[in-house]
Amino acid sequence: MTSIKTIRHKKNTSGYAMLELLFYISLFVFLSVVVVNSMITMTRALKETAIERDLAEGREIMEKISRAIRQAESINALSGSSLELNTKDESGADQTLKFSLLSSDIQFLANDILVGNLNSADIEITSLNFSQVVAQKSEAVRVALTVHSSEDASPRSADFYDTVVLRGGY
Amino acid sequence: MLIEVVVFSAIVALSVVAFTAVAQKSIYLSRQALRGAQAAFLLEEGAEVARLVRDEDWENIAGLDAETDYYPLFADNAWTLSVSPSVVGIFTRKVNTESVNRDPSNDDIAETGTPDPGTRLITVTVSWPEGETILSKTLSFYIMDIFI
Repeated sequence: MTSIKTIRHKKNTSGYAMLELLFYISLFVFLSVVVVNSMITMTRALKETAIERDLAEGREIMEKISRAIRQAESINALSGSSLELNTKDESGADQTLKFSLLSSDIQFLANDILVGNLNSADIEITSLNFSQVVAQKSEAVRVALTVHSSEDASPRSADFYDTVVLRGGY
Repeated sequence: MLIEVVVFSAIVALSVVAFTAVAQKSIYLSRQALRGAQAAFLLEEGAEVARLVRDEDWENIAGLDAETDYYPLFADNAWTLSVSPSVVGIFTRKVNTESVNRDPSNDDIAETGTPDPGTRLITVTVSWPEGETILSKTLSFYIMDIFI
């Protein structure tokens, strides 16, 4: 009888170990799924954040263009994606500032000399449009800018619009 | 042994959930920053439109109804304030006006006093959907008939 009890007891211990193993495996699988899923989410989040940060660069470009328009005295030339303004430099001397879309970059020229691109290599300018708005007592320029992140494989872009009255034109 | 595994698993799971929540919040915040920047330019444009409309003719401003929402409309290289609702992408922009009173004793703008026909309070509002909620930015300023 004793030997039978021992055998039964051994069988019970073996069954419990199997149950424990199953539990550990299930837990491992569950945790693996959660961790992998989380890694995918975090990778996507990092990429999304980088793309949104690139697109937000449009704000700085638009800020530079609108500041130049605001301080300008008159429009020298305007044609679609190119704008040339008559303004004055720090010493009060006449100068021209020009913004022009070339390929996917906005070139900034002072007195017809290239200063550089307004956008970094991280973004592409997919559209830049200038329109002249004339009122009885003033004139303004409407700017429509569309930017796209170079890191983004999708066609997603961000649009920025502004209209600025030439303060020097009053 | 079992209790250690359970505690360890709980710590790992909670950490992972916390990191995921932070990552998702970062997407939300960066998207909100971009939308905020776009909305700020639309607000500025709304203020410039009010200035342009004033520069065309003060009656364009003086004739606006205080109870009506106006929507800036760009057509044929000219800005007008239309009563027909319009949107710019996901953004809705409206312009409201209010009459302005001046204190007769010092000519300052006041809640009550003599109505000033040469000054109006302009409020530009840009709103956009962000998930389940509607976010908005507002800009208020006085505009005057400077070409008398």
